[in-house]
Amino acid sequence: MSERMTRPQIPLEEGVITPGSTCQGCGAAMAARLTFKVMGPNVIRHGIPCCPDQSSKSPSTGSVFEGGGPCLTGTARALKALGRTDIKAIAFFGDGGTYDIGFGGLMSAAQRNENVFVVTKDNEAYMNTGGQHSGGSPKYAETTTDAVGPNSRGSPVHKINAAFAFAAMNIPYIATASVAFPEDLMAKVKYAKDIEGFRILLIQSPCPVGWRYDPAKTIEVARSGVQSGIWPLYEIENGSSFKLNYKPKELKPITEYLKPQARFRHMTETEVNEIQVYTTAKWEKYLKADELKQIVF
Amino acid sequence: MIEIRLHGRGGQGAVTASRIIAAAAFEDGRYSQAIPMYGTERRGAPLTAYVRIDNVRVRERELVHTPDYSICFDEFISMNQIIANSLKPGGVVLANTKFKAEELPLAGDIKIATVDATGIALKHLGRPITNTAILGAFAKICPEISMKGVEKAIYKYFPGRIGDMNIAAARASYEQVSELVPAINKEAPKEVVEIVSGGYGALKDVSGWRVFEPVVDEEKCIGCKNCWIYCPEAALEWTANNKPAMISRSCKGCGVCANECPVKAIEMKRVEVKKK
Amino acid sequence: MVDYEVMVGNKACAVACKLARVKVAAAFPITPQTSITEYLSELYASGEMPGFEFVNAEGELSAQIIVQAAARVGARSFTCTAGPGLQFMHHPMNDTASGRTPLVMAVVHRGLKSMQPDHSDLMDQSWLGWVHLYVENAQEILDTTIMGYKIGEDARVRLPVAVGYDGYVLSYTAEPVEIPPQDMIDNWLPPYKPPRSLFYDSPEAPIGRGGGDRGGGDPNMAWKIHHGAVEAAESVIKEVTADWAKLTGRSYGNGMIQEYKTEGAEVILTAMGTVAGSASAAVDKLWKDGKKVGLVKIRSFVPFPRKDFQELAGKYSAIGVFDRSIQPGMGGPSYREIKNSLFDTGSYPVVAGFVGGLSGKEVTVNDFVKLGEKTLEFAKAKKADAHPIWV
Ligand SMILES: Cc1ncc(C[n+]2csc(CCOP(=O)(O)OP(=O)(O)O)c2C)c(N)n1
Ligand SMILES: [Mg+2]
Repeated sequence: MSERMTRPQIPLEEGVITPGSTCQGCGAAMAARLTFKVMGPNVIRHGIPCCPDQSSKSPSTGSVFEGGGPCLTGTARALKALGRTDIKAIAFFGDGGTYDIGFGGLMSAAQRNENVFVVTKDNEAYMNTGGQHSGGSPKYAETTTDAVGPNSRGSPVHKINAAFAFAAMNIPYIATASVAFPEDLMAKVKYAKDIEGFRILLIQSPCPVGWRYDPAKTIEVARSGVQSGIWPLYEIENGSSFKLNYKPKELKPITEYLKPQARFRHMTETEVNEIQVYTTAKWEKYLKADELKQIVF
Repeated sequence: MIEIRLHGRGGQGAVTASRIIAAAAFEDGRYSQAIPMYGTERRGAPLTAYVRIDNVRVRERELVHTPDYSICFDEFISMNQIIANSLKPGGVVLANTKFKAEELPLAGDIKIATVDATGIALKHLGRPITNTAILGAFAKICPEISMKGVEKAIYKYFPGRIGDMNIAAARASYEQVSELVPAINKEAPKEVVEIVSGGYGALKDVSGWRVFEPVVDEEKCIGCKNCWIYCPEAALEWTANNKPAMISRSCKGCGVCANECPVKAIEMKRVEVKKK
Repeated sequence: MVDYEVMVGNKACAVACKLARVKVAAAFPITPQTSITEYLSELYASGEMPGFEFVNAEGELSAQIIVQAAARVGARSFTCTAGPGLQFMHHPMNDTASGRTPLVMAVVHRGLKSMQPDHSDLMDQSWLGWVHLYVENAQEILDTTIMGYKIGEDARVRLPVAVGYDGYVLSYTAEPVEIPPQDMIDNWLPPYKPPRSLFYDSPEAPIGRGGGDRGGGDPNMAWKIHHGAVEAAESVIKEVTADWAKLTGRSYGNGMIQEYKTEGAEVILTAMGTVAGSASAAVDKLWKDGKKVGLVKIRSFVPFPRKDFQELAGKYSAIGVFDRSIQPGMGGPSYREIKNSLFDTGSYPVVAGFVGGLSGKEVTVNDFVKLGEKTLEFAKAKKADAHPIWV
């Protein structure tokens, strides 16, 4: 598991070239900035179509939208064949590229335990194309393809629990992080980058345009997501060892998270309660796993 | 046929405005075409849109290269020669600015009208979304468009109470827009500031994106680095005396730093639009 | 005596990979390509190819992306597929070519309407700007696969190369194949070096997204450059083929086309792939009967041997074109290209467009004898039947 990092330990040097071409208050831009502060120079960064975040100072390459897993695989294998395993194949992808169109390819790469590190900026929709539904969209969120009307209440399904799907592949390292907890995020990047095998870090990256809140509130929204248990911060090693990194004595009510976001504005009290019950029940399971230090199947 | 170019930034509703103008023209019994800038729109990033109005169905499928009218929705971009460039001789610029038409540093064989659309929008809508706030002014200075058509078109896009508010804004700008005056400068100033719009990859300078900017009260600042670490653009430099300092070319004015400051040592101040 | 083995076409392909010192191969099984992947797996397991990485990809889409990425990083890469698998690769194949990434892909023809071979699978990809070579026998598979790397990696080309050969009749048919010694190939084909290193410690490492020549300001430019690269492949194919002939004594015409008994012929037939072999046997018969029919085997479909056909145009009174594929509603692809090539020359021999051998339908030597005779009749009548003439 990662080791705690403190504010003074955060390097002053940037790993990205700013300003980038993102919207004001972009959570993904923050995620990229934090990630590349500690990623180090010896990487090849892989991208697939998604919103811009921040260009890093590392050599970059990329592939088609569905090609995340195989693209990383090809690079990692070539590095091995050429005797350059000191260089790491890393990725910075969107949730759509990770959970939807590229999911199969990433799962297979995980099963082969390819020596790659995937960082996913999860903004819970296809933001680059204007905020359509993705596998990362939470239940009831209004997206541009989960319209709200008499026949639809926003996203009809719960967000994929991608970390646990990857855990089924018994890969060495899986973690979640949030832009509101930068030290935790960077500690995880630092730890994961040097592990051998398939690693994945899922970063909660709020999007003011798609989630419809004031850009100044990106961190506030992210933080309340973590504090309400909607986005727990944890690590899973070798598919089962489990650690919850942030455990408040009491969870904040999810309304603190939902309220500022206009994508949830249409939700009825019953619907909010449903999500509250769902969230609390999940949280109990995370606490249990943390206590046992592992996920029990 | 008349051709119109619209300058704004993502989030100000310039694209919607182009459609409202096109709809207003159709309400007035004419054909029209509204063209958004091709590419990706990022909130805060400068963008351009275009409109054509004609008596027959518009067949031209190209961007407007020499407009009759140029409308600028943004106070900062209004200070930039790009809004006056490549107009037809005698073309008209309508700029959102507090300055008088005579005071704008624009050049060319053009006429200029100004209106404080931001002020009007803040008053009637409570937000600096200037698109409808400038359309009334446009109906006044452009004989090809009627105020009635504009009102009908606004209702099409914003029915109900929101429509009423937007129409109130449009009416105010109809009343308040200045007279058209010829530009004093005949030659464009040498130094033309580049307006950096969105796209992909690192940009040179986004100082023109921000409407508000962080002002640090060093007395209050406790040096916790919250502002610094949460800035999406690394636009706050951590200085030797343990305080943040804005890097002007990188700050987009999102306000996260001020929001995250635990002691409220950062204030987001409206950027003063200055004449050069 | 040179080393040889009686082997099937698919093995010849795998052996070529070994001789070319391929570093990364990724593939997904599909009949009739499958045994290439099995041979590669054996080569990997045996340790005969040191430093070789073999990936059992989870589908053709991934196989294409894996080798594309590996080649971009600097590893000589190989993949192979057939029919539907090739169609599934279509999207990333575009990036492989647009990104100017040299690698070799064997396309073991499986038509799009059955498991049996025709050329519709590879023809379907002809917009993507790969180099498409069609080969006739197992020896030519081995030779062309190795040549493919030399052609594709040439600085003037920098493109992926597809080597197409028919399923079953070639992929699973065994024949003696000469195996050149490893050191000879090592001397001839140096290790691959990408034009720009992606390694952080290299001075040329690019920052920002990689990819092809996007050409700066003019949106046409990327296409213009790509078009130029495919056209440039023509002279490189000719050079490399001549060079290979010097090295091994095995010659494949000028590389773009291979002529057979065209000297003094009245008319010519054209064919691609395995059927060219049967066609050449038919030509022997025809000459024996005093019928002066030559054969032009088309080896490179992309780039198309336009100049060669322009030169041939004036020499013969008719050309009988045989296509082993048809684009519904549009016709036989090589028929159209040949006609297109001749228009500018001002000399208009009769061009007949035969289409056959689809979905594995056998095309026999006797069939080609008849096509030769028909072509002679068309020459006499100064007019061919309407295209397509189904065989
Ligand atoms: C095969 C394919 N289908 C669709 C697209 C269009 N497309 C580009 S980016 C994108 C959405 C990306 O969403 P996500 O991965 O969540 O990243 P984000 O934009 O939210 O950062 C889509 C649908 C594409 N480029 N390729
Ligand atoms: Mg997304």
